[in-house]
Amino acid sequence: MTLFTKDDCGKCDYVKKHVDLDRLGVKIEVLGPENPDALAHLAWHGLVSVAEKALPILVLDDMSHLTGAIPIKSYLEGISH
Amino acid sequence: MGEVMELGRGTVPPPKDATDTVLFVRTSDMEIAGWDRHRIVEALVRETFLDEGTAEKVALAVEQVVQRSQIEVLTAPLIRELVDAKLVEFGLESARRMHTRLGMPLFDVEQLLVQPNRENANVPHGPEATNLTLAENIKKEYALLAVFGQEVADAHMRGDLHLHDLGFVDRPYCSGQSLEYLKKFGLNLPNSLAMAKPAKHAEVLLAHMVKFSAALQSNFAGAIGWDAVNLFFAPYLVGRSDRDVKQLAQMLIFEYSQQAVARGGQAIFSDINLYWEVPKHFEDVPAIGPGGEYTGQTYGAYEKEAQRFLTMLLEVYRGGDASGRPFFFPKPLVHITEKFFRTEGHQEFLRQLCELSAEKGNTYFIFDRGDTAKISECCRLSFKLEKSDLDDAKQPWRMRYSALQNVTVNLPRLAYRAGGDDTRLFGAITEVLELACRAHLDKKAFIEKLLSQGERGPLSLLTMNRDGQPYLRMHRVSYLLGMVGLNELVKIHLGQELHESPEAFKFGLRVIAHMKLVAEKLGHHHHMHFVLEQTPAESTAYRFAKLDLKYYSPQAGRYVRGDLSRGEVYYTNSTHLHVGSPTSPIDRVRMEGLFHPLIEAGSITHLWLGEEQPDPAALASFVEKVFRHTQSDQIAFSPEFTTCLACGRTARGLKEACAYCGSDEVEGITRITGYFTKVSSWNKGKIGELHERARCRGFFSAPAAVSGSAKAEGGVG
Repeated sequence: MTLFTKDDCGKCDYVKKHVDLDRLGVKIEVLGPENPDALAHLAWHGLVSVAEKALPILVLDDMSHLTGAIPIKSYLEGISH
Repeated sequence: MGEVMELGRGTVPPPKDATDTVLFVRTSDMEIAGWDRHRIVEALVRETFLDEGTAEKVALAVEQVVQRSQIEVLTAPLIRELVDAKLVEFGLESARRMHTRLGMPLFDVEQLLVQPNRENANVPHGPEATNLTLAENIKKEYALLAVFGQEVADAHMRGDLHLHDLGFVDRPYCSGQSLEYLKKFGLNLPNSLAMAKPAKHAEVLLAHMVKFSAALQSNFAGAIGWDAVNLFFAPYLVGRSDRDVKQLAQMLIFEYSQQAVARGGQAIFSDINLYWEVPKHFEDVPAIGPGGEYTGQTYGAYEKEAQRFLTMLLEVYRGGDASGRPFFFPKPLVHITEKFFRTEGHQEFLRQLCELSAEKGNTYFIFDRGDTAKISECCRLSFKLEKSDLDDAKQPWRMRYSALQNVTVNLPRLAYRAGGDDTRLFGAITEVLELACRAHLDKKAFIEKLLSQGERGPLSLLTMNRDGQPYLRMHRVSYLLGMVGLNELVKIHLGQELHESPEAFKFGLRVIAHMKLVAEKLGHHHHMHFVLEQTPAESTAYRFAKLDLKYYSPQAGRYVRGDLSRGEVYYTNSTHLHVGSPTSPIDRVRMEGLFHPLIEAGSITHLWLGEEQPDPAALASFVEKVFRHTQSDQIAFSPEFTTCLACGRTARGLKEACAYCGSDEVEGITRITGYFTKVSSWNKGKIGELHERARCRGFFSAPAAVSGSAKAEGGVG
């Protein structure tokens, strides 16, 4: 799983604060002007337009995705139990 | 030194002093004057930074050459060449550059007058067109000497990048606008001999639109786009019969189609944006009707009239011209939105659209997903409407957008130079984009200089102020950064083409993501809107390939596409998969579509139909799936035709002889980049590409062919 975030994103910080992403093996990609690799990764998943409107985005192993801090936190908490 | 034109030697014996020679000078005023060395001095002092003493030395040296030469006829260009040679000899390079004469060799002019110009297949060959080309050549030279810095100019000459439309350096690149401007203000143009009030009849509005398009084409190098044409005509069509509306549709399409011949130069590269539904951002906008008066209703009330006009336009497109050929212009750009699928009658309309695609190929399907709204003005170029633009939509005549210039980067060349090293490659991409940015700064400064002369200057049309701001809103213009040959870059760097592995494809995405972020960074730094665009590259893909064969052989010979032995060489356009890659249409659209959100100024996927006539229902199903399941910005289906010059009929496919009468006097027609044209006018690179295009044989023969999830259908994804 990959969590797409960016700096100064309150919702992204919320997920990072409330979920142990390392333990779940979630890779974090921080979008920003110095990180074309993260943007390319986002484009590979077809989520550039989604990210313009909503972050964070969690891409699941089956390539589907979730947006919104609460749904992402809920999902990750669900699989951690 | 314009006054020294031509000089003939008299029959008297050679004198001791050249000033005594009976030499005659034909001036630029078509007068004959005597030889006067001081004319050279005057010209040097006027045109360069030389002081009079140095200029006198140069002039004297030239005079001695003339004296010694025994030349029978001295022409003005030769005098200038002699002066320039002396300037070089004296180490005065800067003065030589400033003193350069612009123009063309006699041989080239003669070739031009009798040979077609194939740089742009949209320009017919004729006296007016050759005037255009001659002027363009001088402006190109001027641009490279006087508008752009030497490093930028040299980069263009070498083929590191391409400065588009140098022959139109004194104009912006392209524009998109609204009919509301004409409806509200009439046709009231600077320098016009007559002013027209807002049109009271649909036919007059059309006349204003066509004339204004022609005027705009004289002030822009590229496409002239019009937003929501069927909707903005709608208030004029209330109460008009179907027959009248069909007639108006015919007039609109024929007027634009025949402008190329009427104008002599480039056809008006016209694009009309069309909507089945009333776009959300126009629903509540007060409608302007005949005489420029508000009708008392909003555009939301004109959906049916707009649909009626749109249906008629499609009927005319389907009929083709008198020979059944597809219309080349205006290009119908049909927007597919979320609301489209919620609007009554959309299924039947989509079927009609796809019948047109199947038969003539005209339709461009523009996908505006979510809340996205766009104005498209070219085969690719579009402007995504931001919040401030949507505010403009409340007064749609303000919706005027332009790209000032397009600079395209030769990506394969960067890969040759990088030698497989990622750091060097990405560093080189950054450097060339910085150079492209400087090209934009140069062009911006030049255009602003022209605009500063206001309505008495050369760009008076663009400075006219009818609504509180100039027609060309410089603070809203975009600066385009295009790319050619991503596919070859990846192959040179990794050994595989984009379609051959996920690694290759992902690397392509890295390159474009890097370009996007560099463009944004440059934009922030310069307070300019730099955006990536899929350059159509009608001639650039050919030019880059030729130059790389010259400078990067033998390596380039392994990567340049096409037939090297025939000189029909090219690079794959922009971020496209190679035209010949064995990729199914849905995979091609899906894969190419992954690049589209990174390319803000517009993208397209071409689907080459060849001679096959697909099932419209299959196309409709395909279009909906593309909208629902891909990121694609735009698609177009491109059939091929052969039209017979002997019997005047048109048949499907590119053939050597007429399918009806057997004559070999035939002309092939298909889409070159973003528009249809005659194959005979294509440059060699595009001919090479045409031979290698993989046609979608059998894929669209039945709806079942595209059943299932687009995402599930393989490829490298």
